[in-house]
Amino acid sequence: MNGNILQTELKFTETYKRYRNAHPAIREAMCLKVQYPAFFTPVKPSDLFAGRIKNTLVGITPDEWGLTSFGYYCREEEICKILRTSEIGPILSQKIEEMLEFWKEENTSAKIRKAYTKEMKMWLPSDNWMGEPGIAFPLYRLTGGNIDFDKLLTLGIPGMIEEIESKRSEKLSEGKVDEIHFYDALLIALNVLIDTCRHYAEEIRVMIKGNNTEESQKRELSEMRDILEVITLSRPKTFREAVQLFWIYSLVADVRNYGRMDVYLGDFLAKDLESGVLTEIKAQMLIDNLWQLMADRHTVVHNRVIIGGKARVNEKNADHFALLAIEATRHIKEIEPQLSLRFYKGMDPTLMAKALDAIGEGRTFPMLYNDDVNIPSIQKAFDLSYSDASQYVPYGCGEYIVEHKSFGTPSGVINLLKALEVTLHNGVDPVSGKKMGLSQGSFTHFNTFEKLWQAYCCQVEHFVGIMAKQEELEYKIAGQEASYLFMSMLYDECLDRGKGIFSGGIKYLGGTLETYGNTSCADSLTAIKDLVYDKKTLTQEQLLKILDINFEGYEKERHLMLNAPKYGNDDECADGMLLNVHNHVANYTRDQVNKTGLHSYMIVIINNSANTLMGRYTAASADGRRYGESMNNGNSPSSGMDRKGITALLNSIVKPDTKIHAGAVQNMKFSRSMFKSNRKELEYLLETYFEKGGAQAMITVVDRNELENAMKEPEKYGHVFVRVGGFSARFVELSEDIQRDILRRTLY
Amino acid sequence: MKLQGLIFDIQRFSLHDGPGIRTTVFLKGCPMDCIWCHNPESKSFKPQISYNSSLCGNCMSCVKVCSTGAHKDVNGKHEFDFSTCQSHFECADECAFGALKIIGRYMEVESIIEEILKDKAYYENSGGGLTISGGEPMAQFDFTLELLKVSQSNGINTCIETCGVTSKRNFEKVIPFTDTFLFDYKATDSYSHQSFTGLDNKRILSNLDFLYKNGAKIIVRCPLVRGINDSEEHLRAISSLAEKYPELIGIEIMPYHNLGRNKSHSIGESPLLTNVDTTDEETKHKWIETLKLYSGNNSLIRLSQ
Ligand code: SF4
Repeated sequence: MNGNILQTELKFTETYKRYRNAHPAIREAMCLKVQYPAFFTPVKPSDLFAGRIKNTLVGITPDEWGLTSFGYYCREEEICKILRTSEIGPILSQKIEEMLEFWKEENTSAKIRKAYTKEMKMWLPSDNWMGEPGIAFPLYRLTGGNIDFDKLLTLGIPGMIEEIESKRSEKLSEGKVDEIHFYDALLIALNVLIDTCRHYAEEIRVMIKGNNTEESQKRELSEMRDILEVITLSRPKTFREAVQLFWIYSLVADVRNYGRMDVYLGDFLAKDLESGVLTEIKAQMLIDNLWQLMADRHTVVHNRVIIGGKARVNEKNADHFALLAIEATRHIKEIEPQLSLRFYKGMDPTLMAKALDAIGEGRTFPMLYNDDVNIPSIQKAFDLSYSDASQYVPYGCGEYIVEHKSFGTPSGVINLLKALEVTLHNGVDPVSGKKMGLSQGSFTHFNTFEKLWQAYCCQVEHFVGIMAKQEELEYKIAGQEASYLFMSMLYDECLDRGKGIFSGGIKYLGGTLETYGNTSCADSLTAIKDLVYDKKTLTQEQLLKILDINFEGYEKERHLMLNAPKYGNDDECADGMLLNVHNHVANYTRDQVNKTGLHSYMIVIINNSANTLMGRYTAASADGRRYGESMNNGNSPSSGMDRKGITALLNSIVKPDTKIHAGAVQNMKFSRSMFKSNRKELEYLLETYFEKGGAQAMITVVDRNELENAMKEPEKYGHVFVRVGGFSARFVELSEDIQRDILRRTLY
Repeated sequence: MKLQGLIFDIQRFSLHDGPGIRTTVFLKGCPMDCIWCHNPESKSFKPQISYNSSLCGNCMSCVKVCSTGAHKDVNGKHEFDFSTCQSHFECADECAFGALKIIGRYMEVESIIEEILKDKAYYENSGGGLTISGGEPMAQFDFTLELLKVSQSNGINTCIETCGVTSKRNFEKVIPFTDTFLFDYKATDSYSHQSFTGLDNKRILSNLDFLYKNGAKIIVRCPLVRGINDSEEHLRAISSLAEKYPELIGIEIMPYHNLGRNKSHSIGESPLLTNVDTTDEETKHKWIETLKLYSGNNSLIRLSQ
């Protein structure tokens, strides 16, 4: 049995070697042929759609598989573990060792690192952002691609082939060799897709023959098998065919965000309901089933499904799908898919009402996106036409891009609080004691607040500049290495240009930088200004010493810092500082387009659990936060520091400019009774917030004692969902410090 | 000097003091002395010190500034003696831990309006606005009147929550500037009213009548404490109000909760009701059923949350 271990991975590696010097698109296509359908796993008896995939250890992906795995990747650690723990013969073992050795230099992330400039090498020494202190870290990935599923479902596989062939002959007559390779590779890729469908059809055929399958199940299975065959031969005509093609394609493409699903599935649904091919109940069943398949994909931060919003050509049909989608989210109690509702004034109010029902039940979904604010903001921020901006989609943790037109991988993180901390320590990181940033003089050297502020700004700018160039480089290498065929054929312009998405194919190639600790940094600056420069309650030396010893013996001083004004209370002074921090980092980052070839480069204030993870390596700060504690979450106030009530919080939240960043998440936590007993007021509250410029809301509905009890008896509270920031989670599955952070957040 | 009011709290996003989303301004000082009062710190007309020992960090900053000896350092543990305190309040400014606080600040109408206006958009969408509560707003009459006027001229819906103890003339003056009165109805017969609140209710009832007859919009609010003022007679009287004053906006039953109990200790007093618990759901349900029965299912009567 062990002779089969890592066979596909080995074969993949051999194929790669064989085509090493071929055109990258061809090499990729040949590799894909090895990868699929081999990495697909059997359908489960309850599945109504075929398509389950396993986490593979060597392969190619346009997204990420762990800390530094993307593009051509090799999961060294996992493979070594297998080598250690399995009984493998010496010949196979040596082959595997050779494979590991080969990929060490040949994986895409390594190639990017190798291409780093001297400056990048010096200031970005580590990739381990979760486990080491640092101001900025690179992230290796291409993420958030939202492809044109509408086109896929309209043309079907044969239509796609036809279009590619016609483009091919166009370019052939122009004698463009490079492009021809690209089209050939696309055709091979589509054959991989066809093979995958056939593979599943065959597998199901065998299943049906099996004795222990029930009659009703056999009926479903035969329908699945028929559909899998039909979609290889013609464009999908029914809802079920459309969903099947969508799903299997998203898996081979490794596209993990699904865009405006109500638009591309709405008409199929309406047609089938009208003609009687589907009943409402059966349609719901199918969607529920798809939701479960997505949940089982376990992407944690992806699996975004967008419904609602402006600029949907088939609004009525799309709305119908959207309602069933929300219902599915109520049925399938999982942390994915991340259902997101775009809305605007004038949209059918039943959508929002149903959305609030689901949120009130504690599902955390759908997340709410206000088109009336977001479309004009995105238009301005990304410098786009209104019609492009109106096709925005949030993906992953909450970054925006334009569906199948733009890209915006966050390929770096910056910890603003760490930047301040290193500035206060003259370029040295107080946690590791190592030099980490620019040395601009000691804290005492800054005799006015203005000077400290300038030094902080320089520190941030230094790293932002490097991160922008790093992102540009990452795309460049990624584009040299592969064409990301399945993604490119459904991204605008790529087919016309005959180029892979990152090899000159895409229309708007943008990037983003994830900022963390924004509020913690601003609140610290506020406290420093207040206590050191204005009131002179503490000297610079005193403050530094107190922070360096983590407030030990200085509880009173810590309270003075805690009492300083805090963002989130509609307080001019504290909110003003946050705006300074926000405007500075957002504008400086946005300006980097002038120094790179990127179409846009902006910050995103999203959050996963990075506020907690990076907080672990961030020293005590002048906002009163102790060493190692979580920093603030996303765009939110520091946990529990919003004390003036929900309206004050919302008033603060709408202050930062939404026209200079590429997405920011707003977490809010409400009690169950607020949703139950004061639903009307709650609706007015949200309505007003959105009118005042609220762009987004991620709402957790939970009771405090529920969370406390869940910490004590986790086995009983698997049903409690919370919004961590950019993703939802079962509360009991989070680490203790993240749980504490969530508990500390104000509950309204 | 500009007109000032003694304020002990401003609460945004109040949902239970009148319609919609409101900001409630709590004035300090009350002519009544209800045994069930859940805001004991609102009774006195003077600023007071409050001390919450559980927050104390024993930093002794208060000891250093206190000239009266009310604060003492007893072997590294801070102790505070309310009876020696002369209300100089320097200590509260020194207390970084928030253990010592001054209850009651003098504020001008202008700065309160500024605070209220911050949530104007929320009032407008929800039909909410400002509620002046207390203490007893009518006891700081000039200030209340001014605050109402300025609020109204700023387009803000106004409510006052009153126990009804003031002159008719005063009510007459506030009627044009008050969109809704939240009028307390605490006990029925004069004797029990006197014993629960310190005052009899003749004047209160006639003020209610006066307001009603002058077209004021009124929500009657009835605090009910189990075993204290939930007698059959009182419940019947509440029910008959609905009949007597059909144009009332509502009659709200406010079940007692004991969350205010510890507040007494922090101002150096003992709570008056120590043996009554927060009203349980069953009792609330029973009250409502009884009221429905007596009033012939009058829809004005409802439970406040
Ligand atoms: S100043 Fe506050 S914390 Fe310090 S001893 Fe006095 S009461 Fe306690």
